[in-house]
Parts: sequence; structure tokens; C-alpha cells
Amino acid sequence: MIAVIHMAIKDLRILFRDRAGAFFIVGFPVLMGVFFGLILGNEPGSEGTAAIRITIVDLDQSEFSGRFIDALSGNRQLDIEISGPAAVTSSAAATEGYSDPVAVARDSVRRGQRIGMIVLPAGFGTRAGLFWGTPPVLQVGIDPSRRGEAGMIHGFVMEAMGTLAGERFRNPLQLKPTIDAARNELSTASNLNPAQRQLLLSFFSAAGQMLEMTAAIQSADNGLPGTTGFSELQFAKIEPLDIVVVPDPGSRAEQLQKLNSRWDISFPQAMMWGVMACVAGFSISIARERTRGTMFRLQVSPVTRLQILSGKALGCFVTVVGVIVMLTVLGYWLGMRPVSYSMLIVAGICVAVCFVGIMMTMSVLGRTEQAVSGSGWAINLVMAMFGGCMVPVMFMPESMQQASVLSPIRWAILALEGAIWRGFSASEMLLPCAILTSVGIAGLLTGTVILSREQS
Amino acid sequence: MFPDSAAPIHCHGEEFGTRLPENFLIADSRKTIPGRFFTTAAASVLQIRRRLSVAAERSRGRRILMPESCRQDEFTQMIRITNLRKRFGSQVAVDDLSLQINAGETFGLLGPNGAGKTTTISMIVGYLNPDHGVIEVGHSADRCGPPQDADFRKLIGIAPQTLSLYDELTANENLEFFARLYGLNGSALRTRREWALEFSGLVERRCDRVGTFSGGMKRRLNLAVAMMHQPGILLLDEPTVGVDPQSRHYILDCIQQLSSTGVTIIYTTHSMAEVQRLADRVAIIDHGRMIALDTVPRLIASHGGKSVVTAKLRRAAGVSLPGTVDRDQLRFESDDPVQDVAALKQQGVDFQTLQIAQPDLESVFLKLTGRSLRDE
Repeated sequence: MIAVIHMAIKDLRILFRDRAGAFFIVGFPVLMGVFFGLILGNEPGSEGTAAIRITIVDLDQSEFSGRFIDALSGNRQLDIEISGPAAVTSSAAATEGYSDPVAVARDSVRRGQRIGMIVLPAGFGTRAGLFWGTPPVLQVGIDPSRRGEAGMIHGFVMEAMGTLAGERFRNPLQLKPTIDAARNELSTASNLNPAQRQLLLSFFSAAGQMLEMTAAIQSADNGLPGTTGFSELQFAKIEPLDIVVVPDPGSRAEQLQKLNSRWDISFPQAMMWGVMACVAGFSISIARERTRGTMFRLQVSPVTRLQILSGKALGCFVTVVGVIVMLTVLGYWLGMRPVSYSMLIVAGICVAVCFVGIMMTMSVLGRTEQAVSGSGWAINLVMAMFGGCMVPVMFMPESMQQASVLSPIRWAILALEGAIWRGFSASEMLLPCAILTSVGIAGLLTGTVILSREQS
Repeated sequence: MFPDSAAPIHCHGEEFGTRLPENFLIADSRKTIPGRFFTTAAASVLQIRRRLSVAAERSRGRRILMPESCRQDEFTQMIRITNLRKRFGSQVAVDDLSLQINAGETFGLLGPNGAGKTTTISMIVGYLNPDHGVIEVGHSADRCGPPQDADFRKLIGIAPQTLSLYDELTANENLEFFARLYGLNGSALRTRREWALEFSGLVERRCDRVGTFSGGMKRRLNLAVAMMHQPGILLLDEPTVGVDPQSRHYILDCIQQLSSTGVTIIYTTHSMAEVQRLADRVAIIDHGRMIALDTVPRLIASHGGKSVVTAKLRRAAGVSLPGTVDRDQLRFESDDPVQDVAALKQQGVDFQTLQIAQPDLESVFLKLTGRSLRDE
């Protein structure tokens, strides 16, 4: 056993001193995992679409313009950039010749950097949220190619304005001078007929009395907001309606609902890329030992053929397990949370056994390094394509899914996914693990027998 | 079957200072005779017999070949090969080969390409199983057995022709890895490693990867790896191929050093000069069969033919000349060219140039195996 360990250590040293080989075992799978994870999209449970990027140009810089911005900022579907005179003069845009914040915002929309822009004019705060007088004029500019988002932005703006109306009534004492001013304005207005003037004066008088009463109630309740009912002023209350059909058990949609992280799919794939690199590296190493003559020296030393092959197998096994552990740790850091670590250990060992066997068979496919390398990667790539290393099996056409049962990689990914996010029970894990182990043992026997025959 | 009595031995103390018989040869007998008769070119290829005392040779660390009167039973056989046969398909690689190699002997194994040398060595180290016949390694008086047995494999070290080293590992790591396969570890391993690095002249490069070594350095390390576990038998398969003269001399010195410590060495090469320098006995095999086995001098004596004397004459009037004369160019064959040349000189022959070409191992080899190309 000591000789086997020495040979495994020697192989690991040689493997990781070859920088290109080490990259394909360690670096390449990480890149693949991260790349596929990123293109798989957002985290499950998130909105699923990117936020609408808009710029708000606040020319008013008042309390209510700030509240308007706050109201929009609370909307997760919007990604808001706030601009104003101060922001422009201090920004890089000023160096490009822009001193007008509106021009800066318009240019960012024109360049496609932002989808839309909203300009809050000076005096916005004095008129926003009032039901009378001339309403504030908001300028909204939308990228012409994003008409769909334009309607959404209009809706969000009106929603925020409704919030401002509620804000107005939250502090009656602040609103009262505004009502008094409106009454005075009505009294002196010359373009109103007497009946209309009387009607409006009556309304404002009643409104003034209502505000005084509201202030009294708030005072009695220690100024707690919400007791007047104005703080929750809403034109309508919207409740989300789940229109998603409950997926069929076993369907792709049902499977995807189990995903906890975008890395749940990409990292089992990445593990298999690393495993394939190990297989390629070690299968070549046996051919290299033969062409360099070191295999001869090993075979005339007082170790058995079985010990020599066991050393190779142990080195490959350790490397495969190491790759799976490394990617599990990296995946955990990124947010992957395996459902069962014990199942993951079982799956990892079965995968390692399977691919050690495949390595042994691949190593006798040719007599030179080039022959073994070429045939090995060809087999690896076919297994990877059918097995789901490039496109997950669940996204394949039915016929491809049926064909994929012939690829050990499909079963390896299934076993790993079973432990990571599918939540396989022991009985469910039995089938992929049994197949992997069987393939591994068959590969070990095939490789050993062919190597022995070649020697004799 | 084979003349075991021809096997060499170390000379013993009682032979110190004795006068040797006429037919007493040294293994490397290539010498030149200085003198105005010979041109530099002619002298460089001249070999003559010289009488030397045993003490003189021993002082040079050389091994003396004993005359036929030496007794074979003073040896312990280290390798016994009996009726060995190996076939690859319809090709017979080794055909009924029998051979005994003595402990401490340096044994040259010669043959054209495809003669069966490598197959024989592969069977001696247990890499190939013979179809028929028996190989035993180990002291016959002690314990011996087949080389397939791990215990007896430990007796054998091999430096294959193909450099069997890991380029990605350092010299230290290569030495340690192979030594551990033979069970060495701890202080014993470190001691042997230091010896091997010293032996191969690679102490300064011990931590460098073998991939950065020159061909000569790799050859030396290849030899050192074979010696790490202190084997009693060392098989060297063309250990100097592809190296520069300096490295070749270093390696040959190392082999002589090992030989002096009693290691049994089997040496295959295409360099007849190396075999003449190193080997106590030589076997020549062809088409899988042994066609000659003896000491180098006796092989030359048996199969090499006569020496050829070629001379340009300045004056030879009235002298009866042997051989043929063509435009003052004399050419004749002789069993004792030095004596014949001296006799001609006494008769008044004046030589302008003189060249004596003695038969050597290469002429023996070509005579026995033929001159046709062997492309395996």
C-alpha cells in the first residue's frame, strides 16, 4: 500500500507541475461553472427581469421632490440615478461641456445608458400632491425603443404622486396655510362666476375645518400618524395574483422550482468538466509512462502490476474528489447550498470510482500520448454533450434525453444534483450510484486486462 | 556447452609480482608503440601485447583476465539461464539460450539490431515471461529464484536505454521515488540518495527538474537510479548512447567503479571499444541464438584472424618480402606482426611508414554476424 501511495503522490506532483494540465483541472471547471451560472440568469425567487434604469433630474431640491424620489426608490423595478445642478457640476459630465443636468440626462438616455428620465421642475414641491390649482409639470423622456417600459414608468410616476397626496394630509397643520392661501386666491379671482366661487370657497372652508379637527385628533393621540386615515391614502390597493400554473410533477418546471441558486445547475456541470480533465490527464500519464520508459522501470521494480495501476487509480481518485470538494466549497461561497452533504459525499465517491475506471480504459486506447489524448478527449466531449455538461439534460429534446442515459456523465450529474438541489433520498440515489460504480469497475477491469495483455 | 574456464577472476595476493605467461592479456589491450617507424595515424590504431606484472595492473585498478588454467569453481554464479526461448507471433526472438554469469563479472552482450538482446534482458529482469526455459538470479550457493519474484527483483537494477526518468520531478525526487519502490526510506534512503548524487556528479543540480538536464546528466542519473537500492546485478542497456565524450568517459569510469565493488554487470552496447574496455566476457547473439561466448582476447584470437601489416618502403633491396608489394606498398598478414616487422628491419628494410592493424572485437563481430544490414 505504501508503494501505491508513493506512486499516487508522484503522479499528483507531475500532474500539478504541468501548468496547462493543472489549469484544465482547477481553473477551467471554475470558469465553466461561473460562466454557465451567470448565463442561467438571476437568483430563483427574484423578479426575474432587470430593473428599469432611469434618471431623475431634481431641479426643485425641495422636501416634496425628495419624497417623490423616495417613493420611486422604494420600487424594486426601478434603478434610479438622481441628478441635479450640484451633481452635474461636480461630475465628469461637466468636463464634457454639459452644465445642464437635463441635457446630461437626455444624453445618457440617447446613448442607451438609461432607459428614461424624469425632470422635477422648480416649484414641484409647492404643487405636488394637491387636488387643486395647476398641477406640477413633470417631464418624462423614454428611450423610443423601450415603449413597453414607458407605460410602466408613467404608472410608477402617478403612483408616487398619489403617495405625495397622502403625505400632504399626514401633516394637516402644514397643509392649512396652503388651503388658506387658496381661499384668498379664490376670493380675488376675477375669472370665476359667483356660483362657482361660492362652491369652491365652501369646499375649502370645509377642508380647513377638517384639517383643524384632524390636527386635534393627532394631538390627542400623541401625534401618531395613521390615526387620521390619510397616511395610507391609496387610489387602489393592488394584490398580486399568481397566474402560474402548478407544474406537473417531474416536469422541467417542477424540477427548476427546487433550485436554490443559479449555481445549483452550473456547478455540477463544472465538477464534471474538472473530472474529465482529470481523466484526460491521468490516461495520458499512463501512455507517457510507456513512451518514456518509466513504466518499464516500474514494472521491473518489486511492485506488482496491480500496485502500479492502483497507484494511478488512487492518484486519479484523489484528484477527482479534490475537484469536487474544491467546486463545492467555491459554490458554497457563491451561494450554492447542497441539500445533503452526506449524499454529496456518496455521489462524489461514486463519480470518482466511475471515472477512474473510464480513465483506465482510455489509457489503453492508444500506444502514444497523442493517440490517447485525441481519443480520450473525443470520448469525453461526446459524453459531455449527451450527458448534459454543455446543455442540461432537462433542456434537451426528448430523444436526446433518452440517448443521454448511455453517457456516464448524465448519471454523474444526476447524482451530484440529487445531493445538491434535487433532494434525492437514499433510494433515489441508488440508481445513479449503482450505474456509476458499475461503469467504474468495468472500466478498471477492462483497462487492467488490456494493459496486462499488452505487456505479455 | 560453454567454456566456463575462460571466465575472468580477480587476481589473488599470491600472484603479486609473478611473471605472466605469453598469452596473458589485459581486457583493454589497445596500446601504441612509440618510435620513429610509426606515423601518428598508424600508431593510433595499433594494438600490441604487453607483458605486465599483476601488481602493475592492480595498482591501476584494472581487472586481469586469468589464463585458461584458472579454476571456475572459485566463482559464484549470479545469473543462470537455461534453454531460454521466446517467440512473438511467428518471430523467434530468443532461441534456446543458455548462459551463466558469475558474481562480480562484467558481461558484455552483443548482437546486431533485432538479435534478441533486449528480449533477453527483458526476461532477465522479469519484464517478459519466457515461453520456455528457466532464469534464476541470486547466488547459486545461497538463495536464488526467478526474477518475477519480488524478492529476487530487488537483486536487480536496470538502466534502460530509454531514459526512464520523470522530467517533471527533480533529481532528488526521481532518486527517492524509485528507491522507495524498493523499500528504502528514512536515513537509509537519504544516505543512498547522497551517494547516488555524488556518484552521478549531480549534487549541484539535485533540486533541478530533470527536464532541464543535458543528455549526459540524464544518462548519469539513469544509472544512479538503477543503483539506489544497491543491487547485486546491474543491467545496462546502451548506457552511453547519445552522450558527449566527457559524459561517456564519466559513465564508463562509474561502471568500472561499480565493477570493482563486486556488482555483476550485464552490458549491452553497439560500441565494441566500450565492451573491450569493460567486459570480462562477451556473448555475441544473433537471430536469438548465441554464436560466441568468451573473453575478448580469446574471441579475437579465435575469430579475429591475423594482423595486417601495411608499410611504405623506402629501401628493401635484396630482401625477400612477405605478402604483396605494389609500388613500394607492402601488405602482409601475420600472427606476430611486431616480430615480423623487427625481422624485416634487421634484414635491412627501411620503412617510410608502417601500420599494423590487429584484429579487434568489431572484426570478430562482423565476421560472426555478417556485414548485411539489420533493419529489424
